[in-house]
Amino acid sequence: MRRAFLALAVLAAAPAAGQPLVVSPGPDAVSVTVYRDPDHDPGDPMNLDWLEGFALITETRTVRLPAGESVVRFEGVAGGIEPASAIAAGLPGGVDEKNRDARLISPGALVERSLGRRVHIRRTNPKTGAAIEEEAVIRSGPDGVILQTRDGFEALRCSGLPETLTFDGVPEDLSATPTLAVTTRSPEAATVTVKLSYLARQFDWEANYVAHVAEDGKTLDLFAWLTLANGNDESFVQAQTQAVAGTVNRDENAPEEPRAVSSPIEARCWPRGSTSDFPLINSLPPAVPGAPMEDSGDIIVTGSRIRRANLMSAMPVTVISAQQEELGDLKLYRIPEPVTVAAHAQKQVALLSRSKVPFERVYSVSLTAGEELDEPRGADILLRTKNVKGKNLGLPLPMGNVAVFEPAGGRMMLVGEAPMADSAVGQDVEILTGQSSDILAVQRRLGPCGSEDAAGCDDDADERALQKEYVVELSNARAQAVRVEVLLPLYRPWDMKRPSGKLVSRNGQRLWIARVPANGRARFRFLLRRDPPKKDDDES
Amino acid sequence: MRHLFLLAGLAAAPAFAQSSQGDVSVTIYNDNLALVQDVRQLDIAAGRSRVEFPDVSGQIRPETVSFAADDTGIVEQNFDYDLLTPGKLMEKAVGKTVTIVRFNPATGAEVREQAKILSTNGGAVLQIGNRIEVLRDDGLPVRVIFDQVPPNLRARPTLSVSVESKRAGLRPAALTYLTPGLGWRSDYVASFDETAGKIDVQGWITLTNTTGTTFTNADVVMVAGTPNQVNNGYRGGDYRSYEQQPRPTVRQAGTETSTRARLGDYYLYPLRERTTIANAQTKQVSFLDVQGAAARKAYELRFGWLDTAAEPRSADTVLKFANSRAGGLGDQLPAGTVRVYLKDARGQPQFIGENVIPHTPMGSELAIRTGAAFDVKGKAVVEKRERIEGPDRWRTTMRYTLTNARPEAVTVELVQSGLDWTWVDTRITSESQPSQRESSDAAIWRVTVPGNGETQVAAVFVTRY
Repeated sequence: MRRAFLALAVLAAAPAAGQPLVVSPGPDAVSVTVYRDPDHDPGDPMNLDWLEGFALITETRTVRLPAGESVVRFEGVAGGIEPASAIAAGLPGGVDEKNRDARLISPGALVERSLGRRVHIRRTNPKTGAAIEEEAVIRSGPDGVILQTRDGFEALRCSGLPETLTFDGVPEDLSATPTLAVTTRSPEAATVTVKLSYLARQFDWEANYVAHVAEDGKTLDLFAWLTLANGNDESFVQAQTQAVAGTVNRDENAPEEPRAVSSPIEARCWPRGSTSDFPLINSLPPAVPGAPMEDSGDIIVTGSRIRRANLMSAMPVTVISAQQEELGDLKLYRIPEPVTVAAHAQKQVALLSRSKVPFERVYSVSLTAGEELDEPRGADILLRTKNVKGKNLGLPLPMGNVAVFEPAGGRMMLVGEAPMADSAVGQDVEILTGQSSDILAVQRRLGPCGSEDAAGCDDDADERALQKEYVVELSNARAQAVRVEVLLPLYRPWDMKRPSGKLVSRNGQRLWIARVPANGRARFRFLLRRDPPKKDDDES
Repeated sequence: MRHLFLLAGLAAAPAFAQSSQGDVSVTIYNDNLALVQDVRQLDIAAGRSRVEFPDVSGQIRPETVSFAADDTGIVEQNFDYDLLTPGKLMEKAVGKTVTIVRFNPATGAEVREQAKILSTNGGAVLQIGNRIEVLRDDGLPVRVIFDQVPPNLRARPTLSVSVESKRAGLRPAALTYLTPGLGWRSDYVASFDETAGKIDVQGWITLTNTTGTTFTNADVVMVAGTPNQVNNGYRGGDYRSYEQQPRPTVRQAGTETSTRARLGDYYLYPLRERTTIANAQTKQVSFLDVQGAAARKAYELRFGWLDTAAEPRSADTVLKFANSRAGGLGDQLPAGTVRVYLKDARGQPQFIGENVIPHTPMGSELAIRTGAAFDVKGKAVVEKRERIEGPDRWRTTMRYTLTNARPEAVTVELVQSGLDWTWVDTRITSESQPSQRESSDAAIWRVTVPGNGETQVAAVFVTRY
C-alpha cells in the first residue's frame, strides 16, 4: 500500500512542473457554422464516411481559474479540430501557450512512461486460478517488455502463464482523447466564461432540392433541404447552427497535425517453436445476431389510393426554415432554433420553398457538325427557367442536387436528378432530367458528290474535297409534335453553308430549332465548306 | 428486482422482428435506382416529437427523404449512422464506471468489481480502485457489463424525423426516398424459325433487390427510360475508334407510339398485382409475348481501310427484325439483352448468341449480331496501290473473296469502311458489281455467294493517301 502510494506520487509529479490543471469537461453552449468542401463539385454527393468540408465551432465554457499560471484543458472538442485555428477569448490573463496533445492513454504509453519504474506483475495459476502479484521494474518496452523481478530479468508474457502488468497511476499529461490545452496566468482566482473558437474537419453540407411538377406540366414547386453532416465522434447538443454557401479559400498545403499516438503492449518473445508444433485453425468469433429492432407497435395497413396520392404529391410541410443572411460575399443560412448536430449523423432542415415556378420543357441534342452518328442518340430533356422574381424565384440557390418528380398513374414519380451549381439571382437555371428514348437523332453524310445520288456530279475531285454535305435527322415516337434544340458546334477550318432550315445563335452557339411532327421525322441538311488549303497547312 | 425487470424486457423482444413497413409502392428505374413510397400508420403525439423509421432500405440515400402526414410539419430530419459496436460501446464509456466480472476457469468462481474506463486507445485501460490495468491483458476471461447503451448508438443507420403535430392520434404518414440496390433490366428470348422467316419473342423484366431490405406486399412500377442520375460516373458515349465502330443495332429509329402508360418520355411497366420483393432476390415478370413476327438472318462482313485479311475472316451472323406495329413486334423495347434460340434437327431449341439493345422506340429496325458464321467467310487483299496524277492521289485496287461452305446460297453484306477522313474524299472508280454508299465512310456490296461456292468482288478506290 505504501509502495503504491509512493509510485503514484512519483508518476503524477513527473510531467507537470507545478502548473495547476483546470479541466473543462464540456461546453455550456455551442455554435456550429458549417462550410462546404471548397472542391465539392455539384453532383458529387457527400461521402458520410469522409466529409471534406469544415466547421467553425464556438463553444462557451465556464472555468474556475486559480490565481497565477494554470493549464486549462478543454475536453470534448471536436476530434477534427485544427488547433492552429483555436482562439480562446475571455481568459483574464490571455493565453501564453496552446497545446494539442496527441499523446493518449494507451497500454503502450503506460509501459513507456513506466520505464525504470516499479509496477506490479500479476500471474495467475491456471490450475487453481490463484493470482500471485509481485513487484517488477520495467527495463524495456512497450515493443516486447523486459521486466526485472526478484528472480532476475524476464520477458513479459513469454512464460506461458497468464500474466499482466498493473500500474499505480496514469501520467497526468496523457488524455483519453486528443485534447486542447492552453496555459494562462490569471491575476486572481476567478470563475470566468471562455469563448473557445476553432475550425474542425469532418463536416460538410449541401442543398438538396426537390422539384414537383404540377399536373398541367407548366409550373413546378421547388423545395430545398439544407443537409449537413458531422463525421466527428463528438455531438454538439442544442447548437446554434449555420451553414455558409460560396467558396472560401483554404490553404491546402497546411501541414498535417501529428496523429494521435497510442499503442498496445506487444509481447515479443524469443522463438517458441517446439517439436509438437502444428498449425492452428483460426477460430472466428461467432457472428453476433443483430439486435432486435424496437417494437414499433401494430401496423395497420389501410390507406386508400387517393389518400396516399394526396400524401405523396404534397411538398414537405416544415415548421422551421433556415434564414438567409449576407456574409460578405458569402451567403449564410441560419437555422432559427438550436438543433443537435450529433456525432456521425446527417441532418436536414428546410432551406427554401417556392411554389408555382413557371418553366419550359426543352429537348436538346448536341451534334458536332460533320461528325457522323449512326447510332441514334436520345435528346436530353431539360427543364429551363430563370432565377428571377417574375418566375417566382429570385433568390440565391446554393449548389446541390435537384430531384424532379412528376405525377403519373396516381403517384409521384422521379423523372431525373441533376446537379446544380451555385446560382445567383438573374441566372438561367437548367435542370437536365434525363434522356429521351423517343426523340432520337442521327447525323449522316450524304453521297460523295454532295447529294444522295451521284448523277450530275461534278467530277472535280479537288473541289469535292473542299465540301461535304450532311443531314441531321430527328425521329419522334411520341404522339405529340415536339420542339428540339439542335446544337451544331463546328470546328475550323469548316464553315456551314446552305442550311436547309433557319439557324439561330444563342450564347454564341449555332442552333437549329426543329419542330418534329407527332410520330414523324424532321431533317436538316447543310454543307460544310473550307477554303483550299494553303501550302504550309497542307493536309496533314 | 432489477434482474427480474430486465428479464421481462428481454422476453418482450420478438424472436424475429416483423417489418414496420406500411403500404409500400416502389418505382424502379433501369440504372440501379428506385423510388420507395411507404405509407405507415403512425401514432403521432401533439406538439413536437421524434418519429423513427425502421425497415427502410439499407442503402437509403438519406438526403432524398421526404415525409408527409396530416396536421404535421417537419422540424428536422436526421440520419444517424453512429453504429453500436463493441468498440464504440467501450469508447463511449470512457470516463464512466462499468462492472467487470472475473471468472476463475479452475474453480468457476466469479469476482465482480467496479472499474472506471480511462481510455480505449489500443487497449482498454481500466482503473480498479487505485490500480491501473489493461483489460484482458493476460488473456484471462473477464466480462465487462455496461449499465446502458449510449443513446446515440444504433444497430443500423437510423432515419428519424422531428415533427410538430397540431393534434395527437393515429394517421397515415408517407415516407418517400430514393435508394440504389433495386434495379431492373429486360431479357428477351427470341426463338428464330429460319425457314419460315419468323421469330417469337418473349420479354421478361428481371428485377433484382440488393438493398438489404425486403419490401413486403409492394405496388411495383418499372420505368423504362434514362433519368439523369447524379454521380453515376461518366455518362458520355463510350469511345470507340472510328474504324472499330460496329454497325449500330438500331438501324433506323422508329416513330411509332405504343399504348403503354408513360411518364413524359419514359414508359411505365406496372406489375398487375402487389408483390413482395425479398432482399437478395431476382424476380422475373413477363411483359411481352409476340408470335410470328417477320425476321431474317443476314451475314455482314466488314473490312477497315487497307485491311488485308489473308486468313479468311468469318462473317457476322445478324438477325434482322422490326418492332413496328405492322409485321414487327409492335412494342417499344426497353434496354436489355436479346438471347436468340434456334431449333436443332430434333426440334430442341439451342442458344445461338446474344446481344444488347438500347431503349428502342416502336417502329425501329433492329439488327442483332448473334455471332460469327462458321461457314461464311471472306478475305480482302490489297492487290495494287499506285500513285497517280494530282496532289497526293492514290489508286488502290482491292479484291474480296467470299466463300460459302453451306449447301444453299447466301447473301453477304460486304462493307468496306474507313473511306472518310476529316476532309479527304474517296471515290470508287470501278467495281465488279454496284455498291451502295451507306455513309461517306462505308460502301456496301450485297454479294450473293452460291452454295458451296465463292464469289469475288473487285473495286478500285481513288484516295488522297
